[in-house]
Amino acid sequence: MRHARVGGGRPAAPLLAAVTALLLAGCSGLPAAREMGDMALLRTLGVDPSPAGVAVTGSTGPRAKGLQGDGEPALTLAADGASLSGACLAMQGQSDSFVFFGYVDQLLLGEKLAEEGVRPVLDYFSRNAELGLGAQLWLVRSGSAREALSAGGEKGLDSRLETIQNDSKMGIANLTRTAGEVYTDLLELGSAYVPALTPVGEGDAVLAEQGYGILKGDILAGFLEGEAAKGLELLTGGPSADILEIALPEGQVSVKVSSACTKSRLEFQGDAPAKLRLTCKIEARLSEYRERPDGQGLEHLQTALEDRERERMAAALERLRVWGTDCAGLGARAGMLCPARWQAVQDSWPEWFGRVPVEITVEVNLL
Amino acid sequence: MSKQEANAPHPRKEPRLPGPLSLARLEEVFADCTDFSKREVYLHGDRSRRATVCYIDGQARSERLNDYVLRPLAQDPMLASAPEGELFGLMERGALYAHGAKRETEMDPVAFALINGSCALFLEGRDDCLVFPVATEEKRSVGEPENEPALKGARDSFVESLRTNTSLVRRRLRAPELKIREHIVGRQSLTPVDVLWIDGIADPDTVALLEERLDAIDIDGVEAAGNLEEYLVDSGSSLFPLMPFTQRPDRFCQGLLEGRVGLFADGIPLGWLLPGTIDQFFKTGQDRAYHWLVASALSVIRWLCALITLLVPGLYIALVTFHPEAIPPKLALSIVAAKQEVPFSTIFEVLIMLLAFEVIQEAGLRLPGPIGATVSILGGLVVGNAAVEAHIVSPAVLIAVAIAGVAGYTQPSQDFGNALRLWRFLLAILASVGGLTGLALGCTGLIYHLAELESFGVPYLAPFTTGTRVPRGHPSLFRLPLPMMKWRDGPIQTQNRRNQK
Repeated sequence: MRHARVGGGRPAAPLLAAVTALLLAGCSGLPAAREMGDMALLRTLGVDPSPAGVAVTGSTGPRAKGLQGDGEPALTLAADGASLSGACLAMQGQSDSFVFFGYVDQLLLGEKLAEEGVRPVLDYFSRNAELGLGAQLWLVRSGSAREALSAGGEKGLDSRLETIQNDSKMGIANLTRTAGEVYTDLLELGSAYVPALTPVGEGDAVLAEQGYGILKGDILAGFLEGEAAKGLELLTGGPSADILEIALPEGQVSVKVSSACTKSRLEFQGDAPAKLRLTCKIEARLSEYRERPDGQGLEHLQTALEDRERERMAAALERLRVWGTDCAGLGARAGMLCPARWQAVQDSWPEWFGRVPVEITVEVNLL
Repeated sequence: MSKQEANAPHPRKEPRLPGPLSLARLEEVFADCTDFSKREVYLHGDRSRRATVCYIDGQARSERLNDYVLRPLAQDPMLASAPEGELFGLMERGALYAHGAKRETEMDPVAFALINGSCALFLEGRDDCLVFPVATEEKRSVGEPENEPALKGARDSFVESLRTNTSLVRRRLRAPELKIREHIVGRQSLTPVDVLWIDGIADPDTVALLEERLDAIDIDGVEAAGNLEEYLVDSGSSLFPLMPFTQRPDRFCQGLLEGRVGLFADGIPLGWLLPGTIDQFFKTGQDRAYHWLVASALSVIRWLCALITLLVPGLYIALVTFHPEAIPPKLALSIVAAKQEVPFSTIFEVLIMLLAFEVIQEAGLRLPGPIGATVSILGGLVVGNAAVEAHIVSPAVLIAVAIAGVAGYTQPSQDFGNALRLWRFLLAILASVGGLTGLALGCTGLIYHLAELESFGVPYLAPFTTGTRVPRGHPSLFRLPLPMMKWRDGPIQTQNRRNQK
């Protein structure tokens, strides 16, 4: 007596499973093989408008060759076309390698393109299997993306952009945003903020942070910079490390802002929003002082800090309210506390956002 | 006679040597056997009473033959004076000093007893004979288990002698419930094969099934482990071993205590434990010797290494050739840099390197130790390094193949490791055809294949399934503290599932 095998007599089952798996994977055929050795991996892509339609510029960043990783200059490709896909295809013909877009993790948009609308670019990225929406999105202020990429020279821009991105994660640079985050905000909030950069210097220029570009719909509404940009960071609850110098009777004191959290709350009169209350809690640390303030001095310092941060938030809000762009999602966050009422005003919130009185409360906790 | 009849197996003859027993017939049976010997002896010098002692030279131990049989025959006066009709009775009951004596009247048992080292005593005028065991015990001494070295535990290992092996087990499991039943396998080799189990713990159905399959084996001889394994397992076509074995008596006894059924074959220095489930091939004899956390960590590493050795080459091919976007950018850049001057495709590179790895390993195994090591060093280091520097292969491929190869060596079971090696090739080829889709399909096929395997009625993946319908007391990936391992995992049916208070 031999025990029967569990799967005995069902040879078609694995074949059926294989076919099902292929169909579920959307395979109408096998994937195409491509050797990595003859690939040019684009790391940064810039998009601008052009007379032909759209101008696309791509850069590989510094490349290595051979076992010792001998340095080769960055490969920069540029092509104009009636469409993004057409321009990208035209770039393929400019290189002796296969141009691979799967590693594009920095996307630069020229200011002019932002003025015309960014949605076609984001749509293309979202539909393209290689590109995706994971790339970091930057606005090039006072210039085009092609100029910015060309200014990177042989080194390319990707290392500089990666540094800003990493610094942002550590809280020592402006907030960064992926194309996906911006696209989501545009779809859900109707507006979004995008970090802005501008080339500084001659020759191999360095990209410097220049506040944030505010998109309304998908069109550039304007830029926030300086104190207003810092105010936007406080509104979004992710401030970059900031040093505030406050003059006290004991002498000048430097304070480092380490974190902030802003909560918003909507008050209604009937079904109409009556007031938007913002409460920002900030944690800060004394970093430099001639004599450590205590007692009344500390109270003065705290009040001065609260006033300063309140002014920043007000400055940002003033501009945003004029544009009708709640890109920090203050209304949506407040609406989570009263979803039924929020649902009634959600569609008209951009108009309400410009009209409704705002009360800002800042609480600083000095560590 | 038709061709089909001529090619059919010859029926077994029962008895093998038909006809009446006599000294003349015995000599006829062993004609042309130069090691067959006989000695005529006068009982206490009485020329009218003549005995003939037959034995096989080399099988019988001469000291025992001389001291326990020939000396009493020649010197005991009682044998000369006793009535002739009582001589056999006297010899059988102590006149000769051998520890056993058996009167035989058939040809078969006498011939086989001689082959096994006994001697046969014939008296003139009688056709029956007395058989005395005087076998030699020349054999390899019990040494250390070379394939399963012990850092913290017993250092004895099984040898080629079946009875030595059963004694090694009996010394550890002194319970009289340890049962040992012998079967003879092989028409020409007549190899004794012993089935061991603990009565009341092992599943009687497994014992019965094993004995049934042993009795059904009709081959010439048991010269290698495969002579039993391939006839006993449920699925001979599977690469995966279904009969775990060990050289270590302590591990073998542990298996019996878990309720498994043991199997020994004379001439093969290892013991099998049945039924074999997949977790058995990841366990080592040291698992219970180390701290449970250490043993658990090592167990997880072994499972992880099985996945690494199986998947890494295929994964490398799939990612580099079909899905480069899934590789981290910095790694992708270094792969691109190293690959630029290599003339071969990634698929070809990986498959050739896998093949080269197997060739070097095989060459190292076939040569004597020091030369084998030299070949490995020359092949692995020198040729590998030269191939990379000459841009014949890229370093990433070398690293991927080496990692896969080295991870395979962590498998405690060589048989299981071999199965993984061949499946590694298959998965690499599937990845070459369909990328991650091909690899995923290959893995699906592998799981399907493993899920349909059974070992003596127990699903191969039993540790991870409910196929046995018996809840397991502890997870298989980890070795819990021993006081918490209260349940035997081996049998499906047992009257005694709990192994401790």
